Amino acid sequence: MSDKPFFSVDDLHVHFAGRSRLFRPTPPPVKAVNGISFSIEPHRTFGLVGESGSGKSTVARAILQLVDIQSGTITLDGEDVTKVSSGDELTFRSRVQAVLQDPFSSLNQVHQTRTIVGDAITRHFGINAGADRDEEVMTLLDEVGLSREFLDRYPYEMSGGQRQRISIARALAVKPELIIADEATSALDVSIQSQVINVLKRVQADTGVAYLFIAHDLEVVKHMSDEVGVMYLGYLVEKGDAEKIYNGPTHPYTEMLIASIPMPNPVVQAERRSLRQSFDNDAEPPSPASLPPGCPFENRCPVTMDICREEMPAPTIGHHGGEVRCHLHTSGPELGGESVVQFIESTARRSSTV
Amino acid sequence: MTTETSPTVEAPAPLAPEAPIEPAVDSPRRRFWRRMLRNPLAVFSMLWFLVLLVAWVAPDLIATHDPFKQDVTLQRLFETPSADHWLGTDQFGRDHYSRVIYGAGFAFRSILIAMSIAVGVGVPIGLFSGWKGGRFDRAVMWVNDVLFSLPIVLLAMAVIIVLTPSLTNAMIGVGIAMSTRFVRLTRAVTLAEKEELYVDAARITGISTPRILGRYIVPNLLPSLVIQAAIISGAIILIGATLSFLGIGANLDDPDWGVMLNRSQSIFRQEGVWQIVPAGMALVLTVLSFNLLGDAIRDALGRDASNNALTVTKRVSVAAAQTEHSPDALLSIRDMDVEFPGQAGQISEILNGVSLDLRAGETLGVVGESGSGKSMTMLSALGLTPAPGRMTRGSVRFDGRDVTNLSEAEWAKIRGKEIGVIFQEPIAVLNPAIKVGAQIAEPLRIHMGMSKADARERAAELLAEVRVPDPVRRLDQYPHEFSGGMAQRVGIAMALACEPKLLIADEPSTALDVTVQGQILDLISEVQERRQMGVILITHDLGVIAEAADRVLVMYGGQVVETASAHDVFLHPRHPYSHALLETMPQNHDGGGDLPVIDGMVPSATAWPSGCRFAPRCGFATDACVSAIPPLERVDNDLVRCVRHSEITFGQPVADQPVGGTA
Repeated sequence: MSDKPFFSVDDLHVHFAGRSRLFRPTPPPVKAVNGISFSIEPHRTFGLVGESGSGKSTVARAILQLVDIQSGTITLDGEDVTKVSSGDELTFRSRVQAVLQDPFSSLNQVHQTRTIVGDAITRHFGINAGADRDEEVMTLLDEVGLSREFLDRYPYEMSGGQRQRISIARALAVKPELIIADEATSALDVSIQSQVINVLKRVQADTGVAYLFIAHDLEVVKHMSDEVGVMYLGYLVEKGDAEKIYNGPTHPYTEMLIASIPMPNPVVQAERRSLRQSFDNDAEPPSPASLPPGCPFENRCPVTMDICREEMPAPTIGHHGGEVRCHLHTSGPELGGESVVQFIESTARRSSTV
Repeated sequence: MTTETSPTVEAPAPLAPEAPIEPAVDSPRRRFWRRMLRNPLAVFSMLWFLVLLVAWVAPDLIATHDPFKQDVTLQRLFETPSADHWLGTDQFGRDHYSRVIYGAGFAFRSILIAMSIAVGVGVPIGLFSGWKGGRFDRAVMWVNDVLFSLPIVLLAMAVIIVLTPSLTNAMIGVGIAMSTRFVRLTRAVTLAEKEELYVDAARITGISTPRILGRYIVPNLLPSLVIQAAIISGAIILIGATLSFLGIGANLDDPDWGVMLNRSQSIFRQEGVWQIVPAGMALVLTVLSFNLLGDAIRDALGRDASNNALTVTKRVSVAAAQTEHSPDALLSIRDMDVEFPGQAGQISEILNGVSLDLRAGETLGVVGESGSGKSMTMLSALGLTPAPGRMTRGSVRFDGRDVTNLSEAEWAKIRGKEIGVIFQEPIAVLNPAIKVGAQIAEPLRIHMGMSKADARERAAELLAEVRVPDPVRRLDQYPHEFSGGMAQRVGIAMALACEPKLLIADEPSTALDVTVQGQILDLISEVQERRQMGVILITHDLGVIAEAADRVLVMYGGQVVETASAHDVFLHPRHPYSHALLETMPQNHDGGGDLPVIDGMVPSATAWPSGCRFAPRCGFATDACVSAIPPLERVDNDLVRCVRHSEITFGQPVADQPVGGTA
């Protein structure tokens, strides 16, 4: 095996051009994704977290060739798949699949499971509708934990969790090497969400498929992922081992996100409240159509310096071995692994003693 | 390809080992026909078309005379109806009835020609243009709009001038003109459908574009296409008749309805009005039937109006509650049942015996999954049970008053004034066309009788209270200028405007980003402390409950299964469902491996399991659990609905060590 990553995204930029109008200046492009790089190996999961508008779904859509990219490269097994020609599209589609968010609109209401999953089999393996194809579909249903009677169910006859399993079965039908799960469990009830997460994990153990797991729920991402990337306004602000980042975030935004998760335990949560409130600030994130020259998190950050307003920090190696884009670790007071909250507390102590 | 496929059988039915469970939902097709057959106008128009169809396919069967046979004796001209000539005769003594029957064929042929051109040209262009989008689409639509604005008769005449005058050629012109309608419709549907996730999913699967258009978009286009076609068919008949009437359509001897009208219009003054009745009636009935059919199809396909209507059921015969209200509660609900009529006369019980108490200054968290009845409990308590549902039992007390049977007028004085409500989607609640300041001021002016200036001043104070920066300037902004978090602050300001004693927050932070969620919860609890309100916080997120609630009510399957202090529910849950719900959360699970799950799915109100509603999914269920619905039993200060609660003790769920690097 070569040392090249199995799947990698390098310096991906996605801009949405403003529509030009007669007699009016063309609005500036919306910079949805700004220089994202990450890689995934087989059997591994890369989690992408961020709030609404962070650009995480745009990354998924760019990889899936549903939106045009501005610049950057995407490679699969050393092969450039940044822009797949229509002749190679089928091969690409058989290697990269997706499970999308809304189980209600991601399945076509007019078809039964037999057709929804079967169409993919016909397209990729040339097996036409019939007993053989149904047999294949039923094998896939087994794999996602649905009984065979779901073969002739329509989407409206199924619950959200069941539909999401059908989506997974459809993705698995082509025997993909990478599955992009974009908020795949977000619309489900708590008790159903864990069922679907387990199905995804079991499928990975069985087939070795790699996942790009995108969600806004940090806890779910942490449970699913080996590595995580944290996105803020199109930038990957922190990236590294999931467990390490979760236990020792180095970017103030990551820290703010983790502090904001409410824990289902009133005793723990009472302690966490003050941590969360140390990040409180009424500023709103800037618009992706007019990003500031400096760090986009600057106006919400509890620790800012002059340089934060002037230039976007370059990625540096954080103490967790991953990457972080924050001046606090380069031009600033060189936190050297110290978390931001501890830094705030220590500066507060220092200033109160002065 | 060597794959074997049976040539005739599309997809052989698999042999199901067990009888498949009958899906609870009615299929859309059956529902469509049920609604069509219930609509008398639809039945009328379908019957009329049946008659016309027979007249078209086999006119000899129902016609009594030869439609071309003239009365050479010239004795029986311009007759009115008689036993021999049911609808009388025309100026040549030809039988009106038979001519009307044969006319149906002309009408249908016209529709067939024009419609196949209109659909055959319009739909592919619309599909392609909508799918392509961009400049190409704009160019196509520009040409289409020009054609659209030309009168249809003019286009038809142009075609007749180029070709030879005949009904067929006229209909080719009409078809081209009508295709512009189908281009528009198809393009609009395609533009909307191509944004749908399932189209993305098909593209990701690698389905080719023609196939996506044909198998994914067209089926979703069909309903609107059928409606449009029905209504346009009516128009085509009218235009055909107009052209024939003008003498440039059908042959002057043909039994075409338009020609018949043309022939009779010059003579009806001398020979009586009856001459225009047979053809006129046939025309009117047919066009009317097409329009009625189009409307009926639209109604039958549409969502059930009664389910969406904002109408509230009248409160009729609410059976009394069996248990006493708590005397010191601000809001007290006892034994509330809510029922909805389901399909085929059966009744779904959405809520069963729901009771709760809320004291002033207290936050009660109501938690449950979708379908558990948590939102319905609040709506019904406020007299807002959506129609056709109704409260059939129970009693509600608010602030010392019995409000179970209040009239809508009496409720209007309480809701929005003494009870404030915060909703999940703040943007959806605000009127996009009205400035935010005016929307906050409205309840102040209605309930508090404030002047415009006073209300505005108070609105600014309220915005400041919910920590919206620069409140005076933001009063004059529209809702779209607010982010989700800021809009929710406005929502809270509106709910607080009239100093309510009770605040109901229905998933107030669910639609917001996690970093904003905390701020909103802090704000609610801050205002509550200052004003000593009672707060009911409805959410599916146990983390939110842990953060904000003093006491918790856990709902499952339309029933309360446990109420306890927040501390007890989270650290020592008594009901297996509360325990299982906590276990499934990733927050309570460290490391890899499978998450604990609750097997099965949330039951639906049309088919509650017998006995305990959680029993089919419960790891502790015994025979006793399924024999009868367990009562809600009091244990210390808490309530629990489980027959085995005294036998089972749940410990503290796993991870309660602090999470995050620094806490």
